[in-house]
Amino acid sequence: MSSHAPRSPFRAGAGAALGAPALAMGVSFLAFGAAVAAAGLGTGWALGASLGVYGMAGQLVLLQAAGTGDPTGATLGATAANARFLPMAMALAPWLGAGPRRRWLALPFIAITPWAAAMRVLPGLPEAARLRWFLGFALVSWLVAGLATWLGLLAAPWLRPPLLAALLFANPLYFALLLAAEGRLPASRLPILAGIAAAPLAVLLPAAWGLLAAGLLGGTLAFLARRPWRRGGG
Amino acid sequence: MAGLDGRSLALALSIAAMLGLRALGLLVAGRLRPDHPLIAWASAVSQATLSAFVALAVVLPGGAAASLPLAARLVGLAAGLLAWWWGGGRLLPALLAGLAALVAVRALLGG
Repeated sequence: MSSHAPRSPFRAGAGAALGAPALAMGVSFLAFGAAVAAAGLGTGWALGASLGVYGMAGQLVLLQAAGTGDPTGATLGATAANARFLPMAMALAPWLGAGPRRRWLALPFIAITPWAAAMRVLPGLPEAARLRWFLGFALVSWLVAGLATWLGLLAAPWLRPPLLAALLFANPLYFALLLAAEGRLPASRLPILAGIAAAPLAVLLPAAWGLLAAGLLGGTLAFLARRPWRRGGG
Repeated sequence: MAGLDGRSLALALSIAAMLGLRALGLLVAGRLRPDHPLIAWASAVSQATLSAFVALAVVLPGGAAASLPLAARLVGLAAGLLAWWWGGGRLLPALLAGLAALVAVRALLGG
């Protein structure tokens, strides 16, 4: 096969998901699987949380709250912790190309890692290739998450708490690197800094809602600060 | 609901809620252009939420990660960012460098 043969967008996306994204997701979902095992929950619950909820902040809230006997409270907490999915899906939707109906194929896969990769790559791709690239990346990420969760369940007896803690740190570290890459774009710099500045708000509010409040406040202020209509004199 | 215990019910409700959040986002924004102000606002909120999440996860983590000393978390983050910068923006070596620094500092501190 010639090295110049063009790769399909799906395969290109799948290939991009391997490496750092797969490692970061793999270790954090492995740690989650081990934590689920430690809580006495089974494989079905762990895979349901990893593949269905598919957002680590909400998964951890759900795991902690599920044992309280209050399903409504646990659901509200997990939903608030992952409420970023709403603005992420909104920001991603126009870049998915394809038709409005085919775009729904992306629905279960919208999470931080595929979203961040897509927002960097999709604007540079032809419109017809965008959805297939995203599905390639997202499907590999999703499968890695499920496989790592299952391995975490199996490996739980051998994973000591210090190692688990280090593995859990891979997730925020990877996101910090993604933000550093995004921060090279002037348009992204202000929302990133505003989010960091607003983070203390999360300490003052209930844990489940604090992150959403900080993101809303920081993001809205950053948006208003660079709103284009201020420059137009209108 | 007789067949579901509390934990399974919480999981089922959470999965439905996550699909609802994602679906609402696709539904609201699916017909808008990427430069629409609503999309710009949603992008800014997403980025700010993610950066707040990272800041909290490093400075005030919950769960098992809270057992890592703050110095180890900060050095891990700094090492990852420096490796990213020196490595021309390559993510995998930067991630490994950050984790290695975290583990090393944690071992040095005897945690």
